[in-house]
Amino acid sequence: MPGSSTVSEKESANIVAYLRTMDSTIASGVATGDPKKGEALYNSSGCSACHMIAGQGGSIGPDLTRVGAVRGATNLKARLQDPGANLPQVGEGAFGSKWTQYLMYRAVEKDGRVVEGVRVGEDSFTIVLKDAGGKFHGFRKPELRSLEKEPGKSFMPSFKDTLSAAQLDDLVAYLMSLKSAQ
Amino acid sequence: MKISLYALVFAVSLLSAPARLLAQDVTYEQLLHADATPQDWLMYGGNYQSQRFSRLTQINRENVHSLKPAWIYQPNRPLQPFESSPVVVSGIMYVTEPLSTVTALDARFGTKIWSWSPKLPEKIYTIGVHRSNRGVAVFANTVYAETLDAHLVALDATTGAVRWNVHVDDNNQGYAMTGAPRVLDGKIIVGISGGDVGIRGFVDAYDAKTGKRLWRVWTIPSPGEPGSETWGKDMSGTGGAGTWGTGSYDPELNLLYWTTGNPAPDYNGRNREGDNLYSDSVLAIDPDAGKMKWYFQFTPHDTHDWDAIQVPVLFDETVDGKPRKFLALANRNGFYYVLDRVTGAFVAGVPFVTQTWAKGLDKNGRPILLPNTEPTPEGSLVYPDGHGGTNWNSPSYSPQTKLFYVSAREIGAYTVQGQPKVNFPDFGGGGRNALSGDDSYGAIRALEVMTGKLKWEYRMLSPAETSTLATAGGLVFAVTDEGNFFALDSASGKLLWEFTVGGANAESNPITYEVAGKQYLIGASGNCFVAFSLP
Repeated sequence: MPGSSTVSEKESANIVAYLRTMDSTIASGVATGDPKKGEALYNSSGCSACHMIAGQGGSIGPDLTRVGAVRGATNLKARLQDPGANLPQVGEGAFGSKWTQYLMYRAVEKDGRVVEGVRVGEDSFTIVLKDAGGKFHGFRKPELRSLEKEPGKSFMPSFKDTLSAAQLDDLVAYLMSLKSAQ
Repeated sequence: MKISLYALVFAVSLLSAPARLLAQDVTYEQLLHADATPQDWLMYGGNYQSQRFSRLTQINRENVHSLKPAWIYQPNRPLQPFESSPVVVSGIMYVTEPLSTVTALDARFGTKIWSWSPKLPEKIYTIGVHRSNRGVAVFANTVYAETLDAHLVALDATTGAVRWNVHVDDNNQGYAMTGAPRVLDGKIIVGISGGDVGIRGFVDAYDAKTGKRLWRVWTIPSPGEPGSETWGKDMSGTGGAGTWGTGSYDPELNLLYWTTGNPAPDYNGRNREGDNLYSDSVLAIDPDAGKMKWYFQFTPHDTHDWDAIQVPVLFDETVDGKPRKFLALANRNGFYYVLDRVTGAFVAGVPFVTQTWAKGLDKNGRPILLPNTEPTPEGSLVYPDGHGGTNWNSPSYSPQTKLFYVSAREIGAYTVQGQPKVNFPDFGGGGRNALSGDDSYGAIRALEVMTGKLKWEYRMLSPAETSTLATAGGLVFAVTDEGNFFALDSASGKLLWEFTVGGANAESNPITYEVAGKQYLIGASGNCFVAFSLP
């Protein structure tokens, strides 16, 4: 078969196979906390410095405007505790293959300057990283001294030890309430 | 004034005698000796051996770093990415555009001269078929092209006027056409797409002048014929084995080498017990008689969608003091094969990408299967994925380096077995889910042509579907999946030049030619053809 198929059974089989390879917790779990308390925690914990909701906030991390519609409570709680693990994937790559979003890279230029950032664009010869300040850095790969993936790493701190279990549930409940179609 | 201009034109015409009456009047002699006119790119694959090797040297490893875009051609209505490999004759370029448009361009400037589009039906069945076209054939002032709804057309090379238009087969039964025809002496050879929806594959020959069908070689035997016993229960009418690549030709042996696609349903072989001849094979066909002389099957009883429609590359080599004729093919199943093209005998075969389904090949080239590699209802991880270790794009071969340059895809997929469905258009047997882009990559690999041993590789971000082009200037050109055009040193694999065009899932077929003393490189990415030259 030269290209993507339009046979319905194939599509459904692909979806089945795809779901099997995904984090099974991605859309599962029910929020048990208090979303009002969670909103207060969101504002007091500095989340909006990096995340945007309805056009307000920072742009370092994922936009959370609809996060409650695309993620489950179990997944969100895990992400708050270990932000760099099980990063989401998008299907923009070769022939429908997926690419890891928010993957961190460490680029070392020939003069020794180091840029650490999230990959926002890449091809065989170039890569664009977004640093912790939201600044874009474009590089030609052959001109770098080194370029390394940093799997498991994230700009986002873990809230595993700084928030209690109840507070984490509250924050998750707030995030789960964000389902705007905007 | 009119009279004097006429007289001038007439005088120029006389001066050019005894040159051919029309510059586009390509003869069989020219096609036989395509390498002798490297300023042209006369056919798909560059020559009858499909070597995609150019003897042009103006662009070479010393100056390729200064290659710049010369012109860009875009269709009026971008529909699907280009897959076309241009043909260039005396400064005129013929390309095809999705869905089935043929366009003539001035090869120096990219200026459109004429364009022809068929009246396509509203509903066209292209299940498992790219809605694109891979190019034309030119012969005797005529351009031959296939249409998506399975017609073969002959167009006047100077105006695009239709000389004839024949209906090859029924698109309402899944037959579609996307390939570039192969022209022999007075015969137009074509294959067919639709193998995933239960067509019965074939290779056809048509009279170049009249469009009359001369013969048809079926790729699946009729009940009772030799090979029909390899299909289990009554599948001989719907087993697929399409022929959507373009074959190669040896004029001395008078043998045409045409490859075949996967058996159907693709991911479930339950109803087709046996080897499923002649799917996933190369067929050697006598083009005068329209008879198969020999076949070699790469993947018996395929359940992973590994069409063997890769272009066979013909090369000659002296072995033990004797000149020999070989055929090389890097297969979607992950193995590189060398066959004796006189007899079809297996000579060598090694993996050229990661493969996890076979322990190796036996002395006859038949794969020795590993257990637990069949598709399962839950999904079974196998390398390579369904698009294969390499796909339809052509490799190239340089007689200078004796290296075979192939776009290698390092990617696996979970293959899922579904219920076999055999009622067109509801036809299939499962599916696949390829691994993440971060868990895969592509590479241009240079293999020693006789052994398949890796000489060098140049890695790309993603598994790419690009043809390669080798030149006497010491270069190999290719295009990444993200639309980066690049040149490598053909001896070492060192990167010498790159230029970003963009265009997702670039499926490029780069070629080179020369007009008015200037060499050009051209390839497609996305919806653009981009021609490059030295400043």
